[in-house]
Amino acid sequence: MSIKKILKLTAIATTLSVAISSYAQDIKLGFNGDLSASPSAQSGKAGVIGIEAAIADINAAGGVLGRKLTLVVRDDQSQPPKSIQNMSDLIDNEKVVAVFGPTNSGNALAWRHIPNQKKIVSMGMIGSGTDITKPMSPGAENYMFRVSMVDREQVAALVTYASKLPKKTIGLMGETTGYGQGGLKDLEEIMKLHGMSAVATEKFGVADTDMTSQLNKMKAANVDTILLWAQGTPIGQLMRSMEKLNYYPLVLTSWAADNITFYDAAGKNLASKPVFMRTMVSPSTPAQKKLYERTASKLAAPSAFPFVVHGYDAVLLVAEAIKQSGGTDGPKMKEALENLNASVNGVMKTYSKPFNKTDHEALTAGDLTFVKWNGDQLVKYSDDIIKTMSASDYKR
Amino acid sequence: MEAILQALISGLAVGSAYSLVALGFSVTFTTTKTLNFSHGEFVSAGAFIGMSVLFLAVGKLPTSTSFGGADPGAMAQLGALLASLIVMGLIGWLLFILGVRPFAKRPGMAWVMSTLGFGVILQSIGLAIWGPKPVVVPSPVGDDVIRWMGIGIRPQEILILVVSVIVMIGFDHVMRKTMMGKAMRAVAQNQNVASLMGINVTLVMIGAFIISSALAGLSGFLLAPVAQASLFMGLAVGLKGFSAAMVGGLNNARGCVFGGFILGVLESFVNLWSAQWREVAIFALVILVLALRPNGLFGTNMVEKV
Repeated sequence: MSIKKILKLTAIATTLSVAISSYAQDIKLGFNGDLSASPSAQSGKAGVIGIEAAIADINAAGGVLGRKLTLVVRDDQSQPPKSIQNMSDLIDNEKVVAVFGPTNSGNALAWRHIPNQKKIVSMGMIGSGTDITKPMSPGAENYMFRVSMVDREQVAALVTYASKLPKKTIGLMGETTGYGQGGLKDLEEIMKLHGMSAVATEKFGVADTDMTSQLNKMKAANVDTILLWAQGTPIGQLMRSMEKLNYYPLVLTSWAADNITFYDAAGKNLASKPVFMRTMVSPSTPAQKKLYERTASKLAAPSAFPFVVHGYDAVLLVAEAIKQSGGTDGPKMKEALENLNASVNGVMKTYSKPFNKTDHEALTAGDLTFVKWNGDQLVKYSDDIIKTMSASDYKR
Repeated sequence: MEAILQALISGLAVGSAYSLVALGFSVTFTTTKTLNFSHGEFVSAGAFIGMSVLFLAVGKLPTSTSFGGADPGAMAQLGALLASLIVMGLIGWLLFILGVRPFAKRPGMAWVMSTLGFGVILQSIGLAIWGPKPVVVPSPVGDDVIRWMGIGIRPQEILILVVSVIVMIGFDHVMRKTMMGKAMRAVAQNQNVASLMGINVTLVMIGAFIISSALAGLSGFLLAPVAQASLFMGLAVGLKGFSAAMVGGLNNARGCVFGGFILGVLESFVNLWSAQWREVAIFALVILVLALRPNGLFGTNMVEKV
């Protein structure tokens, strides 16, 4: 072997070992959620776009503790068994230090024991199910955090609004899925806290195309305000059934109405009727506008943008926890999240002490806004009642 | 009173969709004694083929996700219908060649798996091309609610109702009164004897799968404006359509359509009472009918000749 060849080989070996060692120093993050199967998959895709954008920005600024962030993405196709399997795979095989997602609340409830047992932080940024961030048993160590909408918080705000209406005969409606039933339960409980009750409660299937029977019962009970929990498409179908009966009570509904699927299903005129809540109206701050311009072309619809922001901010919070704890040890990261010293300048807002031992929600009722569709745009909705409402009126 | 009339009309509208799907199941069963277990996925596929043609007609990519208020016009709708019928017919032919013929004569239930698998393949291809988002498809007959005596119905729902009755009458006539119908029934009865009588058994079977799949295409095309085109739309109507066929009688076209109407109206009336018991009521009815009349309400006795 000539000296030249030896030198050449050494050079290659050195490059390789440098490459491997720098690879080993990367901090791996994971995403587990639906990206292809259910109608909510577009929210999952938007979330990943936000996560990737934040990782790119952090890496461009030198990474965290001098290490680059990387992302491993797993599609759970909205199926709980697949989602559980992904979770174990990401934590045990891929050795990620935190997991983002999932898209569907039910899947988080199916696997939340896994991050809790393995002591790995899970940062939700899409699914809004109330119970996701609750500890497995009272006082148990809890690794589930969230930067997203929370069903109970929207319900608290919507019921407060309903309680202040001068005249109200309230009916409850919900789809027969876990999402709809969970929302109905929250609605009933919080109405009770306000000393209110519904004169009628009706359910419908998620794929139903005609809800006139249920609406006729609402009409017969003189209902003038409907609190409704369902996904985008069925809310749209419900509005279409209202049109058949020419019966339009006030509809206060879940944030699923911000989905373009609702707008498409209901059509321009009917879409403008329901009032609901959102974590943001449309990109308004410079940071939001910048991120929107960067990602808009990749989104299925502009209305999916909040998930980009949730994903972006979720990464910032996890990165800050790594920085504060000085490493990627799960329990130390969790402790850091529960007691973040520095405020984090997110795209949604500035997070100062977003979490503590018992509260794992970065966004709460005060961060939510009432919205409505106006044409094909989402606009902030306000009236005399909303102006008098404050976070202290909310009962949870 | 208005509520009951509305429930009846809405139920018939929903039920006519089940009827069309039930007819699709009936066609292959009455000729080959096999069923396409992914008929529901075929309905979705039919909807997406029609939708793609409509997108092309308004100058958009077939993979777009919204018409944005554009109206494709009558000619485009006709073209979309024809495309759904032809493409789905061809896919039905493919299904028979690849998924049914190799297994149909063998003992066992291999064709059940192969037709199910065919549906999974179709759905996966659909997801790869169009993605999971449901698409609102403009109706060929407009979307304005028609009001009559205090009740409301959409023109598309009336169209489905009318078409399902026309298809039923046509199919009934062909099966009972024509040579072709007799040949189809002969094949169902006994393939070997039918073959000895000079009937081209393979041709009849291929024909049945083509017609059944084209019917799925028709169902998808008609359902899309009501239920939205989605790759999951076939799941619910597939199951309900099959139930309708079981209630009415799988080997009887009239039975299939009435079965669909019965289920649709029952659903709508249970909704008037308590919607969460609807599925329980439907499947209790299916089980009850099967227990009392195993061949369905309108079905004729099937004698298994050994």
